[in-house]
Amino acid sequence: MLTSTIAIFVVLCLIFFAFVLKDVLLAKRRHKKYRLSTCASALLMGSPAIVLGFLFVLLPIVYSLAYAFTDFYLLRPNNIKFNSFENFKLMFEEIGQKGDLFNAIKNTFTFVIGVVPLQIGLALALAIFVNRQKRGVGIFKVCYFAPVVISLTVTSYLWLEILSPAETGILNMILGWFGAAPKDFLRDPDGAMWWIVLLSAWQGCGYQMLIFLSGLTNVRKELYEAASLDGANAWQQFIHVTCPGLRSTFVYVVVTVFIGACRVMTQPMLMTGYQSHTVTLSYYMYVQGYNYRWVGYSSAVALMMTIVIGTITYLQRRFLREKD
Amino acid sequence: MNRAHKKTILSAAYYVGGTVIALLFLFPLVYMLATSTKTESVYAADAGSLAMFLPNFKDLSTAFDNYKTIFTAYGIWRYAVNSVVYAAVVIVLNVLINGLAAYVMAKFDFPGKGFFNFIIMFLIVVPVETSIIPLYSIVKVLLGLKQTASVLAVILPSSISIFNIFLLMQFFEGIPKEYEEAARIDGAGNLRIFFSIVLPLSKPIIATVATFCFIGVWNDYLWPTMVLPYAEEGEWPLYPIQSALTSIKSIQGITTGEVMASLVVTSIPIFVVYVAAQKYIVQGFGTAGLKM
Repeated sequence: MLTSTIAIFVVLCLIFFAFVLKDVLLAKRRHKKYRLSTCASALLMGSPAIVLGFLFVLLPIVYSLAYAFTDFYLLRPNNIKFNSFENFKLMFEEIGQKGDLFNAIKNTFTFVIGVVPLQIGLALALAIFVNRQKRGVGIFKVCYFAPVVISLTVTSYLWLEILSPAETGILNMILGWFGAAPKDFLRDPDGAMWWIVLLSAWQGCGYQMLIFLSGLTNVRKELYEAASLDGANAWQQFIHVTCPGLRSTFVYVVVTVFIGACRVMTQPMLMTGYQSHTVTLSYYMYVQGYNYRWVGYSSAVALMMTIVIGTITYLQRRFLREKD
Repeated sequence: MNRAHKKTILSAAYYVGGTVIALLFLFPLVYMLATSTKTESVYAADAGSLAMFLPNFKDLSTAFDNYKTIFTAYGIWRYAVNSVVYAAVVIVLNVLINGLAAYVMAKFDFPGKGFFNFIIMFLIVVPVETSIIPLYSIVKVLLGLKQTASVLAVILPSSISIFNIFLLMQFFEGIPKEYEEAARIDGAGNLRIFFSIVLPLSKPIIATVATFCFIGVWNDYLWPTMVLPYAEEGEWPLYPIQSALTSIKSIQGITTGEVMASLVVTSIPIFVVYVAAQKYIVQGFGTAGLKM
């Protein structure tokens, strides 16, 4: 591991020197001079960030790329063998056999499909709802934002109590008033993921509401006045004034919520544990790498995840920004 | 129906609608607060009725018993102290390390700068959310994860943030050159200029960075749980409060009320931060929008 780290460091240094050489040559041609003392203090002041950034940001990324093609097992860190596409073959076998990886992909997909529209829709609706000069609107804002304040850990444990299978669990109690028998929501293979979607949207949407609100205040008031003079009703105003004005905010929110949703892990981890009907991709990756110490395979899963997330994010940006 | 009437009705509908939505959003939190004041017997008596959402009116003398138990018997305050210490150290290191780097990138001219610019842009655009397992393997080999080293494993990776470098860089670029030049004529060195001119001029952005840092560290659950060891009997535990919730929840014979009280205690500091630093959080949204 030490040798490979040094090798990566040397490669980065070489690229850096190439950049330096280019700059120095360019400077010579333009008769510009770099002062040595400036360069030295720049390097010195930047060095803590360079060291930490190399060790804890860059190196993990390079390694997650490299480990994906090895049989790295954490309990024998000094004996790593390159095994080309073996990990990816295993992944496809696992998917083909409808094993845990298949379930993880399915559940993550369910979560993303559910939480992205729900959370963003709720946030947008709430932002428009509270975006007016009225007495007491501030209180509504605080109420809708309140769940954001509690952490995902707290959210998970709180909803575990609410979704409790006992007759006295809140949800079962409310359903009981309508004559339904108590249910075990989180053990229901078809429904559990949707409850996690619901509570995640509940916890998160206040944050995006505030982002939308700050976007809404940037939409010029005159545009609304002009539109209403032209006889546009509320819906037309929303489509033709609010939506274009919110475009860049919307792109930002969609991309961040999407990336966050793809990484979902804490909720299923704390609420159900490792179950085939709630395991998600991040959780699967974590269990393979941390609990089973099978870093090679785990990195392969991570690599695939990064590629898929990256591609979809790129497409989202392209697609949503097209009309600018 | 005349116009004034219509307006009143619409307005009433608005408030009723708003209140109903507010109740939907608040009921889990109300339940958490209410239950945290109940002993097991009161909790059992209230179960299944609307009294679940009301605090413990039945036996006021026991209303704070759960809090007493989690503080004295389970020592939750120690984990809270840990979290505060981690957050404080991370905030200081984060502002210093990323601030210095951002200052260099914003104000210095040196060969090879393009290389660092490229890396910063690359790391900001590419989603690199999935490297936690390689990070763990690096930290494990590097620091060994014995008692004290594991604390470093919590603090150091959180102290570097490419996004913060980017954020601070943009802000520093806006600081007029004249300030620096004046100081340089007075004989101030680079570090001196950074600490006594750049940092004081950047208070708002630093407050934003610090606020998000605190929220990030306080709410982090997975990473500290991975790298920190379980506390031995009689030792000061190293877990921050979010990680400790899992062990508190699995204590033998813990009551629902006590669990809820722990959740409340875990949430209060973040609540205070959100209230106190509102302004900087909203500013953060503005800068976050810039990023795209």
